[in-house]
Amino acid sequence: MSPSALPRRPFAGLVLLLGLATGQSALATTVKTAHGPVEVGDDPQRVVTLYEGALDAALASGVVPLGAVTTRGGDGVAGYIDDYLAAHHPDAALAIVGVVREINLEAVLAQRPDLILAPPQLADEQYALLSRIAPTVVPLSQGLDPQAWKAESRLYGQALGREAQMETALAEVESRAHELAAALDEAEVSGDASLVRWMPQGPLVMSDQLFTTGLMQAAGLTINDAGLIPGESAHSDPLSLENLGRVDSDWLFLATLNADGQEALEAARTSPAFARLEAVANDRVVAVDGQLWTSASGPLAAQAVLDDIEAALLPR
Amino acid sequence: MTARVLSHRGLPEGLGRPLIGLGLLLALAALGSLLLGAGEVTPARALAVLAGGGDDEARFVVGSLRLPRTLVGAAVGLALGVAGALLQAVSRNPLAEPGLLGVSAGAAFAVALALWLGASAATLRVAVAQLGALAGCLCVLGVARLRGLGNDPVRLVLAGAAFSALLAALTSLLLLFDQRAADEIRFWVIGSLSGRRLEDLLAVLPSLALALTITVLVARPLAALALGERVASGLGHRPGRVRGLVVLAVALLVGAATAIAGPIAFVGLVVPFAARALAGPDIRRTLWLCLPLGPLMVITADIVSRLLVAPSELSLGVLTALCGAPVLVAVVRARRLPTL
Repeated sequence: MSPSALPRRPFAGLVLLLGLATGQSALATTVKTAHGPVEVGDDPQRVVTLYEGALDAALASGVVPLGAVTTRGGDGVAGYIDDYLAAHHPDAALAIVGVVREINLEAVLAQRPDLILAPPQLADEQYALLSRIAPTVVPLSQGLDPQAWKAESRLYGQALGREAQMETALAEVESRAHELAAALDEAEVSGDASLVRWMPQGPLVMSDQLFTTGLMQAAGLTINDAGLIPGESAHSDPLSLENLGRVDSDWLFLATLNADGQEALEAARTSPAFARLEAVANDRVVAVDGQLWTSASGPLAAQAVLDDIEAALLPR
Repeated sequence: MTARVLSHRGLPEGLGRPLIGLGLLLALAALGSLLLGAGEVTPARALAVLAGGGDDEARFVVGSLRLPRTLVGAAVGLALGVAGALLQAVSRNPLAEPGLLGVSAGAAFAVALALWLGASAATLRVAVAQLGALAGCLCVLGVARLRGLGNDPVRLVLAGAAFSALLAALTSLLLLFDQRAADEIRFWVIGSLSGRRLEDLLAVLPSLALALTITVLVARPLAALALGERVASGLGHRPGRVRGLVVLAVALLVGAATAIAGPIAFVGLVVPFAARALAGPDIRRTLWLCLPLGPLMVITADIVSRLLVAPSELSLGVLTALCGAPVLVAVVRARRLPTL
């Protein structure tokens, strides 16, 4: 065989092969992505997710991906995903194919995916490469919006051919939030709340436009972001300890990227400025897992966040 | 008059007046550090606290937030200023700066390594940062002395910069392996005085005291070394041992400063530079002036770091780098590079 007979584009042959492997029904649905309409197979079997929200959405609609990226600040997927997999798909083997900002293309290729679910902020160069491996679905980026995850989840659900399951999952979140809000109302638990990440030199105050703060609002809490978040940022600069009083709300949610929120709480308690807060004095500080609270999104994450809120605000 | 009284106690001739002037400035800066902040406690309210009254909030902010960071800032400035002067004298190089010679990078790498190995920061930092500073310092001086490069200022700085870059790369590598360490160290690699407590200062006091004792002991032999190794040997000093002690003192000082505040760049360069401009090149005179100058620079920079972006705060390390970098350029571009 002469060298010129070799395929010039190494992925083209593979894509063709996969196209044949998935049979007649392949390339049957068209979804609207940030990169225009993309044709995807009817019933994708080999799915790789490159975004925490996409992994969550896939699992929520009943599809176990072959590969996923790590959670921010972790070596594997988020703890709540591990818990979900252990409970529902104990023999699932999820390969790690990189971190959100640095995808390992070879690891993606090794999974021979027939569908790639990518993050809204995927770089164009990455898209150009990924879309040669398999149809790649990138949601339209909506900026910071507490409701954006729903549209993203719907798009992923559509690409997976599981629109009905996704609608059910979203409706369950909706009704769960309503129930929780009603229960909190009945127990007369309400007020304002702040979500912060604790740093030794001061807290980062999280925006009220996040997935998590959106759910806190859905449960009836008012988010106090101390008026500190400029424009599209997800959080503020480290707030001066002298101004800690600004985030002193009825409830203080303290997130850390270490899975152990309790550890962050202990660290914060050693700061005299923290110990003075009203919320601390009233024992209304809720230590939460930063992997879930400041990094994840999707229907399963929403249920887990609502679980956390219920456990903290409505102790049995 | 005062100068003469002081000189009886061993103060070099003619330093009394600049020392008193700088002391007054330092007192002013310390007062400013207690009165000014990013928060809502105004200078007037803080003044009421200093007068013995004041409201609860103001008492807390002044007593528990501003006072500790002022004291920590003073200790850090003193340590870095003296360390810079010592390092410049022993390497005979006016550009020698703890940050440029791998000492800070060594300390940062050691802390990253400890975090990576699972240490949960706070408790271990002091000892670990000091060991790292010592190792970094020894490596650079060792590399620079290979093949007799020790007396060439430019090569020493190049060796230090290369070594620092190597350590920074290794630190990044460790942090890539471990996202948790990356998160803990992210705010540590840019020094800051915010949120530091008096206990942190107490933890490094022994090493500060030891380093300053060594400094007092080696000041005279170090001045003799400036005249050349043979002269120093002729005067009965042992150059090798003096150098070893100075490196130990520098590592202790920088390790202590880095352990409580994180890496703070350029203080160790600018402070001895200013001290020499005021007092001349004799190390015994320079060291005296570094005592008030170091704290003065760090505390002043810290005040500015609080006010620039209130209600948030800038990191002190960012600010000293912004102010110090032009000074480094000015020193390098000066018509003749002074050799020490």
